[in-house]
Amino acid sequence: MSDRHANEEMILKEVSPAYRVANDNGIDLSLLKDSLAKTPWERMQANDDALNFAESLRTAMEKRNAKFK
Amino acid sequence: MQNLSELTQRLIESRVEFVLVGGFAAVAHGVTLVTRDVDICCRFSETNLMRIQAAFADLHPVHRSRPDMPLELTPQQCAGLKNLYLKTDLGVVDCLGEVLGIGNFEEVLKHSVEVELPYGNCRIIDLEALIRAKEAMNREHDLITVKHLKEIIKQQKQN
Repeated sequence: MSDRHANEEMILKEVSPAYRVANDNGIDLSLLKDSLAKTPWERMQANDDALNFAESLRTAMEKRNAKFK
Repeated sequence: MQNLSELTQRLIESRVEFVLVGGFAAVAHGVTLVTRDVDICCRFSETNLMRIQAAFADLHPVHRSRPDMPLELTPQQCAGLKNLYLKTDLGVVDCLGEVLGIGNFEEVLKHSVEVELPYGNCRIIDLEALIRAKEAMNREHDLITVKHLKEIIKQQKQN
């Protein structure tokens, strides 16, 4: 096994099963750091994207619920 | 540029067996809180994990806890994995082998509903199971989501 794969396996074992990207307060530091690395405009675009995705899910669920009423 | 719809579309088109859980599942049920990452519970078989890897192959996927480490799964690694936290060019996807309070993928699958998205069908954890999962997580923001979800049930009963 290459050093890289050995290292990767170690990392994968480290992150599993505990959620290591979150700190003790439940804050997802990885997401927070990504957000801070963005410009304000990029953050707004990311927010728009999340809202658009959310809207598509909500619409799909409403459609499904209406069918099963 | 973040594009969570495309990430989900890629999972569907690559025939990944998954159930949408977490914040976006809550949003699908009507919660108005904002979330950023896509959480899925998926079958942790080699076939399924390799499908995830293939779905995101051109998006520079890396392990979230080690962004310097690209996603290059081997069959040996697949056998030992329980969770997979990924960052791609289009956003973050957390792949979970089980959901606290519910159980493994098979259990989560039993407690899911199918919805039709513009690019294909997607399974989402149902309302009651999501409440159980969020209560089991017991973090501050999960408990706020639980309050929203319980209110949604109340509203649905009234209508």
